[in-house]
Amino acid sequence: MNTFTSFVSILIFPAGLTLVFTGMFYEWIDRKLVARFQNRVGPRWFQPFADMVKLFAKEQITPGLANPFLFFGLPVVAIAGALTSALYVPLMGLNPVHSFPGDLIVAIYLLSLLTMCIGLAGWNTSGRFSLVGATRALTQMFAYEAPFLLALLGPALAAGSWQISEVNRFAQTHWIIITQPVGFIVALIGLMGKLELPPFDSPEAETEIVAGALTEYSGRGLAIFKIGKSIELIVGITLVSAFYLGGLNGVLPFLLKTIVVLLLMTVLQTLLTRLRIDQTVGLWWRFGTILVLAQIMLIVFLRSYPL
Amino acid sequence: MNTKQNLEKAEWLLANWNKETTYPEADRLDVLVTAEDLRSAVTTLHDAKWGYLSAITGLDLGVESGQLEALYHFCNGPAITTLKVHLPRVGDASLPTIEDIIPSATFFEREMSETVGFQITGAKSMDRLFISDDWPEGVYPLRADFKIEQAAPVEGRYVDEIPEEGVVRGNTFVVPIGPQHPALKEPGHFEFTVDGEVVTAARMRLGYAHRGIEKAAESRNWIQNLYLFERVCGICSHVHTMAYAAGVEKLAQVEVPMRAQAIRQIVAGLERIHSHLLWLGVAAHEAGFDTLFMYSWRDRETVMNLLEQITGNRVNYSANVLGGVKCDIGLEQAKVIKEGLDFLEVRIRHYLEVVTTDAMFLNRTRGVGTITRVEAERFGLLGPTARASGLVRDVRVEAPYGAYTRFPISAVTATNGDLEARCEVRLNELLVSCFAIRTLIDNLPEGPLTVKMPRKIPAGETISRVEAPRGELFYYIKSGGGENPLRIHVRTPSLCNWVSVLEKAVGRQLADVPMLIAGMDPCFSCNDRVVTVKHSNDQKTWSWKQLREYGIEYYKR
Repeated sequence: MNTFTSFVSILIFPAGLTLVFTGMFYEWIDRKLVARFQNRVGPRWFQPFADMVKLFAKEQITPGLANPFLFFGLPVVAIAGALTSALYVPLMGLNPVHSFPGDLIVAIYLLSLLTMCIGLAGWNTSGRFSLVGATRALTQMFAYEAPFLLALLGPALAAGSWQISEVNRFAQTHWIIITQPVGFIVALIGLMGKLELPPFDSPEAETEIVAGALTEYSGRGLAIFKIGKSIELIVGITLVSAFYLGGLNGVLPFLLKTIVVLLLMTVLQTLLTRLRIDQTVGLWWRFGTILVLAQIMLIVFLRSYPL
Repeated sequence: MNTKQNLEKAEWLLANWNKETTYPEADRLDVLVTAEDLRSAVTTLHDAKWGYLSAITGLDLGVESGQLEALYHFCNGPAITTLKVHLPRVGDASLPTIEDIIPSATFFEREMSETVGFQITGAKSMDRLFISDDWPEGVYPLRADFKIEQAAPVEGRYVDEIPEEGVVRGNTFVVPIGPQHPALKEPGHFEFTVDGEVVTAARMRLGYAHRGIEKAAESRNWIQNLYLFERVCGICSHVHTMAYAAGVEKLAQVEVPMRAQAIRQIVAGLERIHSHLLWLGVAAHEAGFDTLFMYSWRDRETVMNLLEQITGNRVNYSANVLGGVKCDIGLEQAKVIKEGLDFLEVRIRHYLEVVTTDAMFLNRTRGVGTITRVEAERFGLLGPTARASGLVRDVRVEAPYGAYTRFPISAVTATNGDLEARCEVRLNELLVSCFAIRTLIDNLPEGPLTVKMPRKIPAGETISRVEAPRGELFYYIKSGGGENPLRIHVRTPSLCNWVSVLEKAVGRQLADVPMLIAGMDPCFSCNDRVVTVKHSNDQKTWSWKQLREYGIEYYKR
């Protein structure tokens, strides 16, 4: 692959700009659906885009106690991580731009980078709400990360490869959701935890700690974090639907399947009450991890001794 | 035991410290005690479980008499015993604290010392609670000789600044909630010291919405005051005028027609529905259950529309006038109200099911902030917060007034005392209210809507208590026989319930705190009504540009 196509693929299509706009579009679907479920009108279609334009135009205020280098650097690292992870997943149902054995682990690691950056950002700004928010964000990460990874390993084990494109190809002939329903549920809910959507929004619970770790962020920094979040949304949904919902082999299946996953997530967001951070951690380690571990044991066992 | 026997028992209990006894009204006993005997007298009443401390009123009896008066009102059903203490205006006006006997007294004492100028000795904290920080020391707005020039703001009396080294001290740090915070739509300030996620200490400050209503009342006539007191609270505006009007009518010895009383009660019932549905939405939002928030507020529109249809207003209904009501309920309106209630009853039953069965919501409410019956009694809780702990504190039942004497209702209680029980009590109460409104509409007595009231109210003092959505609302009204009142003291139910939040937050997770605050349904504008005088040449009025420049400079440092 030459340098030019690499640049295009990273900056414009399928990652980069396209991804940013798709992310905003999905964020709008999410907000609109939740609003309609709650009997509200909801935002207009260009609202997330308008929010970004507004935020980029605004002044960015650096808190006195923060390290300015980290304060500006962390959003950039976060979005870089999210964008890079997009290169390894079958966006738009196309083949991933880059692919190598074991890229599943790399993609998940890059996705976690965003949460880590948010945690560090909260610690760096040393506001009181940011500190509590950062602690909660990182605590929550330790809660969902392991079960989420294990839930994605299930299909990978079934496909016999830790390469996302290979699993995607395998999934096109096998609807893994039928054989591993537990894994699907854990992956879906894990994704909601990763994105800090209700009921896992205690790291940014506005009624307690304002905006959590990002309380002190404004203007560009906040906008970049938000874009990172919506990219993470797309990448996460793509991974889950590629692994569990019969693979992604074209634009139409991509849209259809990812929107189904998004719809499920919005329904859950509407129905559930926010969990306290201790309840979140309890839920993941008491139920999520154990269930998904049991499932993986079963897969390993069945692969070793086929019936 | 009837009211008379009850009062006689109180008199017998207080016989040791009794300097002078009077029965100003059939249900009231006034006992004069000295400041030294106050604690013993309070202890006696408290230990004998004679009622509960409802309010403490501070009064300036005027320059000529040279005396201040503190009134400790104890309520026991319809019977009220008032301990009177007289102290000199000039010189030592110190009273011993009773907060160690009755915890909620600290709020009353601090209010009294800030506005009338009693020195409370032995109190744990005398930080300003109501009056603004730049108010000068030694100036008391409710003194008879107070002049507005005395209230010039004092620079730098108290500055809330962030220490240079940051906010973390060891493992603990302070999380401020309010006065501007997404959890509190109203201005109050709380400081919760947290160790990780666990709250280890709690502190509060009120007074951000002080408007000086009690002071303002002294310079307005009786009719103007009706509209002034309607504006004490934006949610329960009707019950404030009800309490005020009932008190003034009692002083003027005017009997309000039954039809007017029934209409007052109907509006109060609808107001309770609107208030509790609003609370349900807020509580759900604090818990992070926005769907319930949106739905309950949507349904609340129904009752708002009903209120608008009856009175013409959505918030400050001004349905009451002195001596009656201004709006009638005809057949057509009765039909509309009943249709509205049909819809609301279905929705309320649905919400009742949600708050008692939704597992995720119960995660945040069941067993959180549990207050036992004994604690509820000790904290002096009122209203639904007390009733959720099994303590019957409901003026409508204990001391029926107005139309409740003819159409009695039953008190709704629960036993668990946690947030779930408080949700349950409030929603069940709405079903009772719906039923009561139907009964009143079906049996609306015939008759005139108003009777004539005199312009001047005969001299005297009275106490008027009604049940607001949040609990017992207490009005002390004193008339000198003129067109203006001498003193009106308002004690709102939220004030009594704060103790429960401060005591129960310690040891809980930070995430539960907003729920605890919302659980008692606080109403800040009710709390804050005593004093702020408009400063005529206020140097702190900044233009937007100045403020922005200050902000930029502040963060450059």
